[in-house]
Amino acid sequence: MGTDFFEISINFVKMVAIFLLMVQLVPALVWVERRGSAFIQNRFGPNRVGPLGLTQLLADAIKFIFKEEFIPSHTRKFLFYAAPVMSLIPGALAFGSIPLSLPFHVEAFELFGQTMGPYRFAFQSFEMNVGIVFVLGISSLGAYGMLTAGWASVNKYSVFGALRASAQMISYELALGLSIVGILMIYGTFDFADMIAYQTGPLTFTWLGSEMTIPFLPNWGIFYQPLGALLLFIAMFAETNRAPFDLPEAEAELVAGYHTEYGGLKMNMFYIGEYGHMMVASALMTTFYFGGYNLPFVEPETINEILLAAGFSATKASLLTSFTFFLVLFTKLLIFLWIFIWVRWTLPRFRYDQLMDLGWKKLLPWALGNTIVTAVVIFVMKTWS
Amino acid sequence: MLSNYIQVSLEHYLILSAIIFTIGMMGVLMRKNILVMLMGIELMLNGVNLSFVAFSYYTGNLNGQIMVFFVMTVAAAEAGVGLALAVTIFKKFKTINIQFFEKLKG
Amino acid sequence: MDMTTILFYILAIAIVVFSLGVVMTANPIFSALFLALTMVTLAFVYFLLNAPFIAGVQLIVYAGAVVVLFVMVMMLFDLKQEKEAFTKGKFTGFLKIASAGWLCGLIAGAIYMSTEMVVSGNQILDVNKASTKILAKELFSNYVFAFEALGILLLLIAVGAVSISRIKGGTHAK
Repeated sequence: MGTDFFEISINFVKMVAIFLLMVQLVPALVWVERRGSAFIQNRFGPNRVGPLGLTQLLADAIKFIFKEEFIPSHTRKFLFYAAPVMSLIPGALAFGSIPLSLPFHVEAFELFGQTMGPYRFAFQSFEMNVGIVFVLGISSLGAYGMLTAGWASVNKYSVFGALRASAQMISYELALGLSIVGILMIYGTFDFADMIAYQTGPLTFTWLGSEMTIPFLPNWGIFYQPLGALLLFIAMFAETNRAPFDLPEAEAELVAGYHTEYGGLKMNMFYIGEYGHMMVASALMTTFYFGGYNLPFVEPETINEILLAAGFSATKASLLTSFTFFLVLFTKLLIFLWIFIWVRWTLPRFRYDQLMDLGWKKLLPWALGNTIVTAVVIFVMKTWS
Repeated sequence: MLSNYIQVSLEHYLILSAIIFTIGMMGVLMRKNILVMLMGIELMLNGVNLSFVAFSYYTGNLNGQIMVFFVMTVAAAEAGVGLALAVTIFKKFKTINIQFFEKLKG
Repeated sequence: MDMTTILFYILAIAIVVFSLGVVMTANPIFSALFLALTMVTLAFVYFLLNAPFIAGVQLIVYAGAVVVLFVMVMMLFDLKQEKEAFTKGKFTGFLKIASAGWLCGLIAGAIYMSTEMVVSGNQILDVNKASTKILAKELFSNYVFAFEALGILLLLIAVGAVSISRIKGGTHAK
């Protein structure tokens, strides 16, 4: 956490701020989803409350909070209350361990007559040197939220939804884990910050013993592993339980799946959990395959030097540089979130056997083949040169 | 002195692992539900894993962590087969209480 | 009392309470949820012991896959609260508890007598030495045969589980 009061308090503020960022992004995404779906389907969408229907969110939030709290009498009370929290926490923890920008440095300064030494703060809630393993482990706990919700609300539709959800999550976790093995072998690390550091500069690789550079392309993972990127992208859709993989909450068959009996704020927490999963998925896609917070052909040092030349102090310049690169990551994140919404309102839902076939008979063999080919290519490259 | 005992050392982790192992064993001995018995076995394996990791930490040797890796794989395999058997037993006897299928004959 | 000591005691008490919950609750679904809690808490103990990769694998394999499978199977069975969750017989029950306690005491005594000779002169695992890279190098050089054998075991288990659940009376009976 930190060695002195200043470091601990900054780290704590950072943690809360990143959690709030995640939670506050949800209403904005709900608005984008409603307006975007209307745009895709040639409708208007909510456009009456405020400019462009923006205050609709506020109205929705007030409705959620002031709704009468209703719990069916036949439910298992404790688990019924615990389930929404259990589906919210994994997303929040996983999002907290992904670096959102460069670490920023605070120079030594005087506070209450004491010199506070120079600090380095990572732009994430907590640093993990096994980043991706931790994220996969924590987000696999999301299945418990759905399972308990389905079982605690003593309802056949809910239990069916919960069973479908967990079966789907377990099946696609395999494909998800295997699809990133290839790129992990190239990067040679589990740490997100190291992965992003690898993806700086123009596309450079060793081909038959000689170094090749393609100056007009950035050194992003997608150029090394296009198939892995595609597989990860599909598996992520299944993990977040969104259309076309929203079998757990298929309205036509299961009313609303595992959250049939929920309403008000508890329902809202399921929503936040789902959108949190979407954000984690988008952040993983950007970190693995699209350069993370890197801006192509712009070095962080140049921005820092420009800011220093403009008369900012070293601390402020470092902070502003970090913030600039955070905006870069945020833009990439928003593009992926929009693709999530776009796909949801474009493609029809799978049938259940099609879903399982896609997971086990298509994604898994392709991911395995991708891993083997990557391993062979890396081996040949290393022994050749 | 009490403070000598409070300071965490290898013994603390090993005793914790022994307690977990014993609780798991009690689960296997005392429960009738076959699934809970499987869970007891998982608990016992976890107790052993904890002692491996603690030894690896306090002797500066990574072999313990590799053993944990193997134990986890075997435990996952064991759970897979155990659950498949439990499903089969449930379909046949309509119960998973262990006292109703002592005969081992359909 | 430093941070690690306090954390260890909190986690140890939580682990003991949760694992007792696995054994003592009559409803098997609650048992499974307690087991999941035990696994997650153990993962945090592994973080304390400088084994972050093992902790991650514990979260993925145990908490994320094995216990989820347990919970799923129990929901498929739709089990009711059991009246007779524990085995009958006061005398044998006492014998079982006593033997378990005896075993625990025996292990604790053995630990207390012998750890000093095991550990003396060795150093604590350092974070840089325990990196996943070194673990992988060890796994794929010294332990490569065991690793391959595990692969074959997993293949056997996959085939066996499928064939067991497909026999007459299985989930996909035709």
